[in-house]
Amino acid sequence: MSDTVTIAAERTVRLAPHEVFALFGTAQGAGWLFDAQCDEVRPGAVVSLRLPLDGLGGHAVDVLGTLARVVPGAVIDIEHTQPWRGRLSLRFTPSGARETRLQVRAHVPGEGMEWLLHRRGIPLPEPPDDGAVRLGAITNASGSGAVYSMSAELMAELAVDEVNADGGIRGSAAHLVTADDATDADQAALEAERMARLGCRAIFVNSTSASFEAVRRAVTGWDVLVVHTVLNEGGGLSPTAVRFGERPDAQLDALVAPAMATAGGRRWFLVGQSYVWSYGAHAAARRAITRAGGEVAGEALHPLGTGEFAATIERIERSGADLILSSLVGADEVAFERQSHAAGLRATTRTVALALEEATIAHIGPRAGEGLQTALGYFQDSPVAGNGELLRRYRTAYGVWAPAVTALSEIVYESIHQYARIVHLDPDGSAAAHGRALRRQRPVTAPDAIGSRDLLRPQLYVAQADGSSLRILSEVGRPR
Amino acid sequence: MCSSIDGCYRACVEPNENLAFDALSDRVRRRILAVLGEQGELSVGDIAQRIDAVGRTTVSSHLRVLRTSGLVRERRDGRNRFYSLDADGAVRDAFVFLQSILRQGVEAVENPGATSGEDPPGSARQAAG
Repeated sequence: MSDTVTIAAERTVRLAPHEVFALFGTAQGAGWLFDAQCDEVRPGAVVSLRLPLDGLGGHAVDVLGTLARVVPGAVIDIEHTQPWRGRLSLRFTPSGARETRLQVRAHVPGEGMEWLLHRRGIPLPEPPDDGAVRLGAITNASGSGAVYSMSAELMAELAVDEVNADGGIRGSAAHLVTADDATDADQAALEAERMARLGCRAIFVNSTSASFEAVRRAVTGWDVLVVHTVLNEGGGLSPTAVRFGERPDAQLDALVAPAMATAGGRRWFLVGQSYVWSYGAHAAARRAITRAGGEVAGEALHPLGTGEFAATIERIERSGADLILSSLVGADEVAFERQSHAAGLRATTRTVALALEEATIAHIGPRAGEGLQTALGYFQDSPVAGNGELLRRYRTAYGVWAPAVTALSEIVYESIHQYARIVHLDPDGSAAAHGRALRRQRPVTAPDAIGSRDLLRPQLYVAQADGSSLRILSEVGRPR
Repeated sequence: MCSSIDGCYRACVEPNENLAFDALSDRVRRRILAVLGEQGELSVGDIAQRIDAVGRTTVSSHLRVLRTSGLVRERRDGRNRFYSLDADGAVRDAFVFLQSILRQGVEAVENPGATSGEDPPGSARQAAG
């Protein structure tokens, strides 16, 4: 990492090293080093820290990563991917009688400095045309969606690297242009305009439905294909817009009736976000619940970025609900599930969640997450052909502590591969022609395989949280 | 120059901003910025002493790039020239900002007992790796 900047700070604390170490990530150590939060201090455990960027007029930004090295009482190393890929190193050294010298080093790569400069208002450079086929990827490196978007940029990069290793697109290299929309639709529009100016022929939006819609509007007239690559409520289609991923009606058909049978109850409380995703998801939920003979006891909608759910949890308790449907996303979902568990809601209710993949469940933690159910088209232990090889390539490229590959990041990888194949065959085609090709039905007899999954109507798997992972219970329509 | 974060990033554009990015792309220039951030004002010789395997002539050429980019300020005193980070420079802003939030985080570490007090000025430092 020759272009990495290291920034360091240190302090002497009048506690023994093992005492200072024990404060990390615990409730007793609340406020300890950027509100570090992790349920277990062991290699592989996820951790979040909050950088106080809000002091300068913006919002606090979460650093999301994994504990890569832990030596009790002496060392904690954190590898993080959000908001940039970097490393935080903590050293606890004895210093005199029962004192500890705490040293913290932040290793910030060039991309991290660029992220920070951009965040501070400086436009990113716009390199001249180099003949490459430019593809844009908008992800959530910050904001509520950063939790579910952790591996999205890595998977986009992996796909482009593989395309190039195979000879590129009609002999031209593919070049990935990335941007963080901060889970903010206005920012997504600005980043999309830059990508269009740079000549990106397609933009893959691994962000909210609000961002997808903003990008779609922003590039109108540019002949740019916009591909939404996370589960979504549908709609918003145009000749130059494609929406891949799971749809709530299919997810709910798989989840609602079995959850009612298991819980022995029929009263649902719906919790979601106050934008188009949850509006669509909850409309589908009301239909699915009615079909299954249930009823809706209440509903609460929260703006993106909500971290406090006490009032909603009280409403759920008062409603007498037996079941909860959560369409919350990212950090909001993490906060809601942790607070629900702490409030004892698990004793009286069963929860199904629509946007619950491996990264989100890891941040919810093994205790608060236990028993949560979801239905998605991909999990790390999916039986789909080629998955083991994909995960090996990913780990080889990004290391053992890289964030989990999830339904929301694997689909970016497949979308880029599918798009590259289409452009290779039709290099001069319009965005609309490429969109039509992406939407074209694959043969129904073809078995699912990584790289050729049906991304419009993905085969769903029902999974349940088991510790910090998601265990597949069944293939929808095909019990295992 | 932007002096504060704009929540929507819609801030200002200055002619030397791409130059600032170019300046940031070189390892030695990052190291020079880090040394100046840590030490304040230094002469070319002082900077060269603090950067391994880079001679005085190379440091001078990198300083020219940094000065042209608006990241480093030059002061002449007789035959000597001294360099410091440009207080309005974008990258310096980011360095200082990151350094300050890291220092705040460490200083805020919860301590059930008494602490040894504030660290002396300059104990939080920057270095390029």
